[in-house]
Parts: sequence; C-alpha cells; structure tokens
Amino acid sequence: MHLLEAENYKNGLVLRLLCTSFTIKMEGIDTNNLWGDVCENLKLSVSGAIFSTWFTQTHIVSLKKNDKRHFIEIGCPTLYSKATLETRYFGIVQDTLSSFLKTPVDLIFTVKQQNSNGKNLQPVTPLFENSKDHGEDLNRAISQSKLRMTYTFQNFAVSSSNQMAWAAAEAVSKNPGSAYNPLFIWGGVGIGKTHLMSAVGHSVLEKNRNAKVYFCTGEDFTNDIVEGIRNKTTQDFRNKYRKLNLLLIDDIQFIAGKVSVQEEFFHTFNALVYSGSQIILTSDQPPSEIKRLEERLKSRFEAGLIVDIGPPDFELRCAIVGIKAKQKGLTIPSNLIHMIAGNIDTPRKIEGFLIKLLSELTIKKSELNEMLIENLVGKGDDSSPIRIKASANDVVTAVMKYYSLGKKQLMGESRVKRLAQPRQLLMYILRTQLSLPYEEVGRLIGGRDHTTVMHAVDKITQMASNNVQIREDILGIKKLI
Amino acid sequence: MKLRVSRKSFFDALSITSRFTSYKAQLPILGNILLETKNNKLNISATNLEMSVCLAIAAKIESEGKITVPAKTIHDVASNLSGESVDLEVDKEQIFLKCGSFSSKLLGIVASDFPPIPASVSKNALEIPSETFLESLPKVLYCVSSDETRPTLTGVLMILFKDLVSWVATDGFRLSKKDMPMKESSRETKIIIPKGVLSELIRIAKEQKIVLDYKKDEKQIVFQVGEAVLSSRVIEGEFPDFEKIIPQTYKLKLDVDRNELSQAIKLASVFARDAANVVKFIISEKTFKLNAESSQSGDQENSLDVKIESKDSQLFDEKGEFVIAFNCKYVEDYLNCVEGENIEIKFNDVNSPGVFLDTSDEKLLHLIMPVRLQS
Repeated sequence: MHLLEAENYKNGLVLRLLCTSFTIKMEGIDTNNLWGDVCENLKLSVSGAIFSTWFTQTHIVSLKKNDKRHFIEIGCPTLYSKATLETRYFGIVQDTLSSFLKTPVDLIFTVKQQNSNGKNLQPVTPLFENSKDHGEDLNRAISQSKLRMTYTFQNFAVSSSNQMAWAAAEAVSKNPGSAYNPLFIWGGVGIGKTHLMSAVGHSVLEKNRNAKVYFCTGEDFTNDIVEGIRNKTTQDFRNKYRKLNLLLIDDIQFIAGKVSVQEEFFHTFNALVYSGSQIILTSDQPPSEIKRLEERLKSRFEAGLIVDIGPPDFELRCAIVGIKAKQKGLTIPSNLIHMIAGNIDTPRKIEGFLIKLLSELTIKKSELNEMLIENLVGKGDDSSPIRIKASANDVVTAVMKYYSLGKKQLMGESRVKRLAQPRQLLMYILRTQLSLPYEEVGRLIGGRDHTTVMHAVDKITQMASNNVQIREDILGIKKLI
Repeated sequence: MKLRVSRKSFFDALSITSRFTSYKAQLPILGNILLETKNNKLNISATNLEMSVCLAIAAKIESEGKITVPAKTIHDVASNLSGESVDLEVDKEQIFLKCGSFSSKLLGIVASDFPPIPASVSKNALEIPSETFLESLPKVLYCVSSDETRPTLTGVLMILFKDLVSWVATDGFRLSKKDMPMKESSRETKIIIPKGVLSELIRIAKEQKIVLDYKKDEKQIVFQVGEAVLSSRVIEGEFPDFEKIIPQTYKLKLDVDRNELSQAIKLASVFARDAANVVKFIISEKTFKLNAESSQSGDQENSLDVKIESKDSQLFDEKGEFVIAFNCKYVEDYLNCVEGENIEIKFNDVNSPGVFLDTSDEKLLHLIMPVRLQS
C-alpha cells in the first residue's frame, strides 16, 4: 500500500518534526536532555531492577513554566507503572527535577506511550502494500508491450473531430476481440492515432496484467519477418505474434508493396482473429486508398471498423495544450492557452511549441506572457520538418483567391478593414509558414516597412486566439496553398 | 493475616494467576502473586505490567493482611497437595502453609511494592455474552502478529459500532474479521487490545457474561468474568486501514468441501514443508488442483471436487489455467478454525488477496495474501 506508506511516513516525519520543535520550544528547555539527566540521577537512588522496570519507558510529555514553578507532565507506558510511580516514586522524581530546574516542580503522570522514535510508522507488509506491486507489475507489462507511458485514455482529449474514433477505441478496450475487429484508425500526421491505439493497450493491461499486448510499427513488423527469414527463425516470429491478445500496428501502410510481408501479415491476422484476439491498425489513408495493398487484406481491414480522426478543432487544441502543459509541469493561463491553440494546428506542433516555450522559460528565464508567445509564434516553426512547400507568390495567390480580391487591392495603400485584414493575414502566413524575414515580407506586400509587418503578425496572432473567423480563414487559405 | 481456603479453589486460582506473572522480570516482585484479604474473600492477583488478573475466592478469614509470594513455588506446592482445605498464616515476610499433615514456611516479599491493579469494573461497563465472545475470538486471534516492530499488529482491533462488535486481526499476510452482534448500545469505539489478555480471557471465561470497561484516558481495558478481573494496557497507534484492502468484487469463485480441502492441504503440506510452505492452487474452467513440490521430497498433485464460477475468461492463461500460490500454513490455520461444510474462495488476480468465506458463517471474513510466483 504505497500511498498509505507514504502518507504515514509523512505523518511519522511530521510527528517527529513536531517532537523536535516541541522539545526546543518548551520554555527553552530540552526536555529529552533534562529527563535523561534526571534518570541518570535516579539510577543512583534506586536499585537497577526498580529503575529498569519503572523508569526506562517514561518521558516528559510537556513542561510549562508558571511564576517560578515548573509544571511537568510525565508519560508512562501503562497504568500499572503510572500508579506505581505516583504512589512510590513521586517524591524522589519531584526532588530530582526541582534540583535540576532550581524551581519548585508540580508533577503529573499520564499514560502515554513514547512514539517519537518512529515506532508508530505504519506496517508495510505484503497484504497492505499490494497496490504498489500492482503499479510495478503494470509498468513492467507496459514496457514489455513497448507502449508509450503517457499515451493513455486519461491523457486523451476528445472533441467532435475524434469522438467517433475515441468511442470505438473505448468500446474495443472494454471488449477486446469482440467489439470491432480489426479497428482501423486513419488520419493525418500528429493527430493522435498512435495515442488512441496505445490507450487501448494501456486499458487492457490495467485490467489484466497478464494480457499479451504488443505494439509495433509496420516497419518493425517488416524487419521482424526479414530477420526471421534470414536467420531461419520464422517459427519464433510466429510464436511472438500469433499468441498475442492484442496486436497494435502503427503505420500499416508501410507493408504495402511488400509481397511476402503482406502474406505473413495475412496469416498472422487470420490466426489472431480466429483465436479471438484484438487487432488495431493505424494508417495515414483509409485501406481502400493504400496503393499496392493486396485485395484480401483490404477486404479484411474493411470487415472491421474504419474510423478517421480529423484535424483537431480549436477547442480540442486548447484541451491538448492544457494536458501537455500539465505533463510538462507548466501552468499556462487560459488566455495564453487560447493564443497557442489558435496559432498552432496539430498536436505534435503543440508539443514542439511547448518544449520551445519551456526552454525559453527555464534557460532564458523569460516571463510567461503574451509577448513571449507572440514572439515564439512569430518565429515560425523552423524546427518542424513538415513545411509548406510553396513560394510567396503561391501564398499571395491563395489569399487573393480566398478573399476574391485583386492583387492591386491587396498590395495597395487603402486601409479599409475589408482589405487590411486579408493583407495582415497574408503577412502573418508569409512570416509564420514560410519563415520569411520581416523586411522581405514588407517588400513583397507593396514595399511596406518591417514594423508594419511585425504589427500585422502580432495582431493576427492575438486574433487567432479569440476570433473564430480568423482561424477558419487561416485554415481555408492553408488548404488552398 | 490468618485464613482458611478450600484447596481446590486455591489451586485453581493459582493456576490462572501464575500465568500473569513474569519470571524474566528484573524486579522480583513481578514474579510473585499477591494474596490479600478483602470483603471476607481472599484476592489473588498477579501482573506482568502488560496485563493483570485479580481473582477473589471464598475464605474463612480470622485476621486481615496481605503478602506476595513467588508464584512458581506456591503453585508447585499447591498442585501436589491433597486434603480438603489449606490454612495460611502470615508473619511479616513469611507465610506458613498447612494442609493436612503437610506444613511449610514460604519466604515472601512485603505487599507494599506490588503495583496497584484494578480489582473491579466501573458501573457503566459494557456487557458481552460470553458465548458469542468465545465463539468469535478464536477465529481472529491466530492472525495476530508476534512481530514487536509493528506494535499495532500485535493486538486485535475491536470496533464497537452501535449493536455490532467487529474483531479484526492481521499479521500483514492474512487478515481475519469477525462480526459479533451486541445489545443495542450508543457507544462507538476502536481499541487495539493485546493478544495476551484476550487469550487468557478465553481460557478463563466459561458460561458467564463478560463485562468490558475501557478507560480511555488511562489507556487500559478491564474485563470481569465471574470472580476474575483482568486488565491490560491497550496498544496506542493507528491500526492499518484494512477496509481498503478487502476486495469488493471477484472474478473467480470456488466452492469446495471444507474437509476435503483441509485434507488436501495437509497432504500438500508434506511436500510444501521444505519449499517455504508454497502450495499452488491450479484452477481451470472446471477443475481445481492442488500442487506442491519440493526439491528434496518430490511432488504431489491432487484434484478436488469443486464448483467454479468465473466472471472473466481473461484470467486464465493460454493453458486455460489460473495459478495462484498460498502459504499452506495460513490456509490450514484458517480451515482449522471454521466449522461450516463448505468454503468459498474468491480471487481477483494472482497478486491480490484471496477471500475465504465459510458459507455457514457470513460474519467471518478471511483474507490471505498469495505468494508471488516467479514467472
């Protein structure tokens, strides 16, 4: 019982701390020392047997000073010793104490077992520590299954774009092998396919730590087969995959076009489905669109449930920023969360952004405020490998097309809102998506000053966090590029 | 002090009280028994500073007084006497004992050094019918730990809640909880009572009522049974939160005949003896086998008739088996203390406690922590 242990350890500690502070505080006298001295003295006055029987487990519970008199409470282990001390040794204890304190002493005996030595710590025995074992076992099972620790249902934010996929995964985790088999999840990059799939694995392991769960990518699977064929250990391969309760394969599209891998997968698939095991697959396309995937596999994938995860909407991104920030130990005020979610479109980029933010905060000791977020967003994500492969002209064309404006209007001097906002948006996209320098953006948009561009980028960054229309416009334009 | 008592009652009282003395104590008087006249009776008392006893027996008293005598000497003398009555006479620190033709002088110690011990219970004490008490306590007492480093486990937790007394004992590997109905009472208390006084109480109590008096401030508990008054310190500290570890649900349930299981466990323990007492329960959808093996003596397997109810097929491994191991000593202890014909055993998984229930006694709950198997 891990918690109990921790809790009580804490209590013990607090108790001990209290005791020490107590001894220091008690009228400026260290009661432990005082009682030790008194006991040494008493040892000389009474016989050894009497001393060890009646005095060894006593201690001073409290000490108060009152007009030149000390009032002392002495704790005894049992009522028997209390009664004996009171009737037979009261005088001698009182005399000894008052000779040490040099004041008259009032004594009171109470039954109080000495527990400052930590003996009162809670028992930690197998029966009471099992929840800890659960955790250890679970962790071992999870690492054996190659699942990512943080990819659980608790950390998965749900909104309309992924609700269907989430519900399907939940259903599968409750009845693995019977609800939807296989479950095929597809969608673009970085939107949570792998997370959802792993979450099913976690949930199954939580319920039954002995369940055989294995997570791999299409590539791992391919490598395993190649290895098996090369070392003539295909039987090992079969033992590994065909006895599982839950097989999770990420990016299954990678096996397309590989004939013998597809054949092996086909047999593994059949064996697992036949034995009632669950299979979950992810891909970036629906099965029907994966090229060079054998028909028999396509049809088998289609026999289960195919769900797609769309790009996350604004609310979901907010939730994701919140969850991920919490995981990293960051507390971000909600207006800043909105700002981040408004400007960054996929969960993976959010992850990257938060890492950047965290390093800004810890290394440069910057303050967490709108300025910092604007700055970081304004820098564009140079680090992201996924870039819009478009020239500045393409972007300009896309913006013109989206708003049905002419180039002259867009680049012109007029500052009516109908024109100014698209112009600012264009600057924002050029800056954040193409990472063009401010000067260059200014030159492209009718030879404007770089400060104008900076203002535009900041303004749109702000608006993106609280204006739905702007967010939709940005998405719409990105689609056109 | 001069008096005459019946030999039999004198000897019976000495047999009980001498168990409360401590021979090992450094202070000689704690190895002594106190004889004291009070209200026309002879009070015989002893204590080891953990617990105490005071027994009153009928006596014909000629003069009052008190003295302590070494428990072992006077007990051994009294056990070998024959004759109807014993005459006792005290002169300072000596006691003269006469019984028929036998006469002796025993050397005692003055009674003033004897620690004061309770000889009566207060008026508002609680009454417990001894029948239910005697039936309940042996079912938990064997689970009490003897490990002094965990003081709270060396006693039995008594929870008094309205009309129910629950007795709980655990040594950290197994736990027993027995509920005992009471007369309606408005009191609510939780006390940890040391094992010693409870097992003595079981020996002394016959067909009488037991009166229980808890002195909270003095951390003492006093019992009165007939003419005997027992007292003990109570253990300070928090009893571990046992409610939390009692499984509320189960995934697998066995229903077995107690005698059959008891016999099978005894057989298995022959082999388990040199293998840390580990006995494996091997359960499939329909069968229940007990398996024990040792590197020195060999192994054994035994199939038992059983009714199995399984709620979760995932519990079984690829061979269709659920294997859980227990210390057979614990199972044996449990089976020895229950009387029902059938035993129900409930499991959740191989590493969480097994719940043992006597189908004829729903007020008794027993948990045993399984032994973890290296896989």
